[in-house]
Amino acid sequence: MAAIQLTTQKIGSNEIAVLTFDLPGEKVNKLSSSVMKEFQAHLEKLKTSSYKMVVIKSAKPRIFIAGADIEEIRQLTTKEQVEAAVSGGQSIMNMLEDLPMPTMALVNGACAGGGCELILSCDYRIASEDSSTRIGLPETQLGILPGFGGCIRLPRVVGLQASLDVILAGKLLNAKKALKIGLVDYVVHPNLLEGFAAQQIEKIIADGAKKRRKVFQPRGLVAKLLEGALSGVVFSKAKEGVLKATKGHYPAPLAALDVIKKTYGMSDRAKAMSIELQHFAECAVTDISKNLIHVFYLTEMVKKQTGVSDNNIKGKPVKHLGVLGAGTMGGGIAYVAADKGVDVRVKDISHDANAKALKHARDLWAKLMKKKVIDNYQFTQKMSLVSTTVDFSGFKNIDLTVEAIVENMDIKKKVIAQTAAEMRDDAIIVTNTSSLSVNEMSAGHPRPQYFAGMHFFSPVHKMPLVEVIRGEKSSDETIATVFELAKKMGKMPVVVKDGPGFLVNRLLLPYMAEAAFLLSEGMSIEKVDKAYVHQFGMPMGPFELMDSVGLDVCVKVLNIFKKAYPDRVEMPALMEKLEKNKNRMGQKTNLGFYKYNDGRKGEVDQSVYTELGLGNPTNPYSDQECIERGVFAMVNECCLALDQDKIVDTPNEVDLAMIMGTGFPPFRGGLTKYADSVGAEYIKAQLDKYSSERKANRLKPSSKLVERASKKAKFYN
Amino acid sequence: MSSQPKSARDVVIVEGVRTPFAKAGTKLKSVHAAQLGQSALKELIARTNLDVDIVDEVIVGNTGSPSDAVNISRVVALNAGIPIKTSAVTVHRNCASALESITTGFERIKSGTMDTVLAGGTENMSQMPLLVPPAITSIIERLGSAKTAGARLAALWDWFKADLSQIKEMVTTPPLSKTKYKPVITLAEGLTDPFVGMNMGMTAEVIAKEFGIGRKEQDEYALRSHQKAVAAKAKLAEEMTPFYLPPDYKETVTEDVGPRDNQTMEALAKLKPFFDKTTGSITAGNSCPITDGAAMVLMMSREKAQALGYKPLVRVRGYAFAGLEPERMGMGPAYSTPIALKRAGVTMKDIGLAELNEAFAAQVMACQKAFDSDEFGKKIGLSGKIGELRSDILNVNGGAIALGHPVGATGTRLVITLMKEMRRRNVGLGLATLCIGGGQGGSIILENEG
Repeated sequence: MAAIQLTTQKIGSNEIAVLTFDLPGEKVNKLSSSVMKEFQAHLEKLKTSSYKMVVIKSAKPRIFIAGADIEEIRQLTTKEQVEAAVSGGQSIMNMLEDLPMPTMALVNGACAGGGCELILSCDYRIASEDSSTRIGLPETQLGILPGFGGCIRLPRVVGLQASLDVILAGKLLNAKKALKIGLVDYVVHPNLLEGFAAQQIEKIIADGAKKRRKVFQPRGLVAKLLEGALSGVVFSKAKEGVLKATKGHYPAPLAALDVIKKTYGMSDRAKAMSIELQHFAECAVTDISKNLIHVFYLTEMVKKQTGVSDNNIKGKPVKHLGVLGAGTMGGGIAYVAADKGVDVRVKDISHDANAKALKHARDLWAKLMKKKVIDNYQFTQKMSLVSTTVDFSGFKNIDLTVEAIVENMDIKKKVIAQTAAEMRDDAIIVTNTSSLSVNEMSAGHPRPQYFAGMHFFSPVHKMPLVEVIRGEKSSDETIATVFELAKKMGKMPVVVKDGPGFLVNRLLLPYMAEAAFLLSEGMSIEKVDKAYVHQFGMPMGPFELMDSVGLDVCVKVLNIFKKAYPDRVEMPALMEKLEKNKNRMGQKTNLGFYKYNDGRKGEVDQSVYTELGLGNPTNPYSDQECIERGVFAMVNECCLALDQDKIVDTPNEVDLAMIMGTGFPPFRGGLTKYADSVGAEYIKAQLDKYSSERKANRLKPSSKLVERASKKAKFYN
Repeated sequence: MSSQPKSARDVVIVEGVRTPFAKAGTKLKSVHAAQLGQSALKELIARTNLDVDIVDEVIVGNTGSPSDAVNISRVVALNAGIPIKTSAVTVHRNCASALESITTGFERIKSGTMDTVLAGGTENMSQMPLLVPPAITSIIERLGSAKTAGARLAALWDWFKADLSQIKEMVTTPPLSKTKYKPVITLAEGLTDPFVGMNMGMTAEVIAKEFGIGRKEQDEYALRSHQKAVAAKAKLAEEMTPFYLPPDYKETVTEDVGPRDNQTMEALAKLKPFFDKTTGSITAGNSCPITDGAAMVLMMSREKAQALGYKPLVRVRGYAFAGLEPERMGMGPAYSTPIALKRAGVTMKDIGLAELNEAFAAQVMACQKAFDSDEFGKKIGLSGKIGELRSDILNVNGGAIALGHPVGATGTRLVITLMKEMRRRNVGLGLATLCIGGGQGGSIILENEG
């Protein structure tokens, strides 16, 4: 079956051609190589036809063209392959641009990447105002750049500054913004799209059916200068911005910038296209791009999952959410739920405590209102969804309650029992514990099939990961409900089994502990953190991370770990010393390894070395050792968590969780993807070396890592 | 007590919740009336674990009609989580708007039209606006429609001159007097009878003089209102939901801002008559303060309440509104109560507890006299007196002189306070009544369901 239908339509006395994209058996339209071939055949025919105009639209509801086929790009491994595939696409877009009659694209729904490049090759563009209409060039997010002429045509159509915003950040624009920057000519109600287009077509034909190659016209002197004589300033500013955002780890936006700089205003299209092609091919074959595509697939995977293996089991809708505990976590959970339209009732023991949750949520929405992301009506609506109570009033109406009270097993059990008695029999309770056993806690619930863990990461509104902890007695329906709720709250859920630290904290703990050992062995805090941030690409180094988690919490969780795995967990002596100073608990007390001012990180507090009985740092080790000891410690533990304890089912979940929960560098594809890239044998050899040289028993390769090394086994095959 | 058999179509009140009432210009001054209403309604829904899907209508009383929420009931309903499909109406019977909402709900349910109604009232009197007077609006209109620069400039100049005149008038004329350029104080206009042009306080002066109620008696009454309200703090807290004060939530209002535990006769005596400066007796101390607050109740047909397993607090036995001379509006309860009693099939002797809104101490005391007067009874067409309204069953937890009178919310507040106290005292029948600006009275008779 064909993916593109060619039909004709009479407008007045004129006949026009309509190309309708409708990929059979798919929900979305993609520009796969076969679709492109079909498109080319149509263009060949149209080139010599006498139609007055050509209209391109989609028959899919709320989808125009979602882009090129990512799987095809992932499969390409050599520059030659890439060049062959992409230059074909370029010339098809050129053919479209060169059709003798005017062309018009009608966009209703997603129009990304290749789809956007397609409409840029048309003369006229009309978009629907539907919320599904999103237009842009997200290629840099996947480590590549627009390759079908997007780097050349977008700057021409919308000007340098607007095009850099779109291409470098890889963000999609809604119809309103697309109109504002001139990416589309009109925005109309989806029901009017065809009728309005017909009127426009009639006008265009009456005016002589002229081709139009839209060129951005800057308004005002400053804009004119920035688009022309002073464009150098724009480019250097843009480069600065990219480097700041990517710390130099992501080459694609820089390559795109390079293409635009070289081709902007160039009259020789073929030359411009070949520059784009060159850069595209260089980026497309990098591991970084492959890794970013891997991460993209991971997020797509979650969208399709339900959290349980049986697809017939559906989660129950959660319209009313209860939150126990109005602290930072409780307030954050209330915010993200209400932000997505869930009615939330927060319960704590006093009005003062409840007030904190209200303020937490209100401040975040106030910020959004200030940035004009929401208006004051939406602000009021969202605020109205959050109510508070000091008793259990209203809990019979609540479908699911998240417990976010003090981390104490006995108290939690008691409160869970109390809460279960105040809720309907079919209501669910989940715990947001980060360190306690969900299975043990489930004893507090009279119907443990309605109990599970739902572990959010702090700060809740920023961290996308939610660990859904499946207790031994949790029912499928409970897990599916929690999974669905997490998605509704805009989070990435990963189902994990119960076990100390679940997945993410279990892997992070050895990493943070290793940093403490590095410190005690003479490394400076700055040097270690900088190595992780600048060399490895972590969003923050381990010391800053410990500060943000809270030093007291780190010690508490380390102790739980030591109890659980006495053979391989060592408590760094200095952590115990740290715990004694109650003024130094990290960000929350404005003092940790770093000094903080209202939550903003300042310098390292140099007095910490003396306080811990350490001399001046001598920095005896290389950056490589610092990074490897921490990261390989995670891999070491990961082998046990995955292969032995089966905390999660596949490496996919490990990678997704580490990226979404800890900010593990996405360009590395996740922890196990990274481990594959260096190889289990190398990791084992290095850990052997470090454990003997540094007399660190804890770094000895785990049984499962040894197994992997001997089999040269990869996490991904 | 005159009993009445239970019927499936009886109208019952399941529960009621209100916000704290705060004297205008104090803690709740910056909270929109819709938000006050939302707070009370949301808590009512929570306390009753109500499935909002079954609500047939939301009826909210309000007199200020904020211009950004003209059908404020709909705004309150949607923000409180009532479904989009559910209708909402705002009702206005001046001081009895929040009794009107309950009686409207009563009719809807009694007739079989509806089964579940959320009724109440909300008012923010702090936010009653100042209006630009017509003399200035006409200049602004001219400015808007000016076609030439010259015309525009001329209009601007006139506006400037008008502003100067306004400032002059503000300084040289008494605060409440109306002039050509001064902003119209809507609150003052609202408290002025539109038929006879008399301020509400002046209508109380008329009654005080006609019934011979002296200053000292009034002050003593006002003092008792404060003392009773202070003593009843814990009881009143039961009908309230705390209000968390945005934007920083540093304070949570958990009690009414009005009752004074240090009120004295000496302090009251110091106050000058506010309305009639020379021969008057009505002061700010023996009148109710203007106030911000909201109150909501859940009403159902008996069969619905039973089917859902609710245990209602009271059944509504009957109600009445009646008119009288606007200049004696404070006597309203004495006109509407006998009709309500008759409709309910009971007499004053059956009433074990009463709430009569304390707009002015003088007006409450005059009503008590009228209730107990054969002469007054005959005047309104009865064979004798209405029946004594004993002080020991009247406003036992204080009244509006202490608690305040948010005009569009008070009717429901009276019903909530009354029904909760009826349960506490195990009283069979109760009366809630209030006088209404413009010359009306409203009364409702409740029967204990316990």
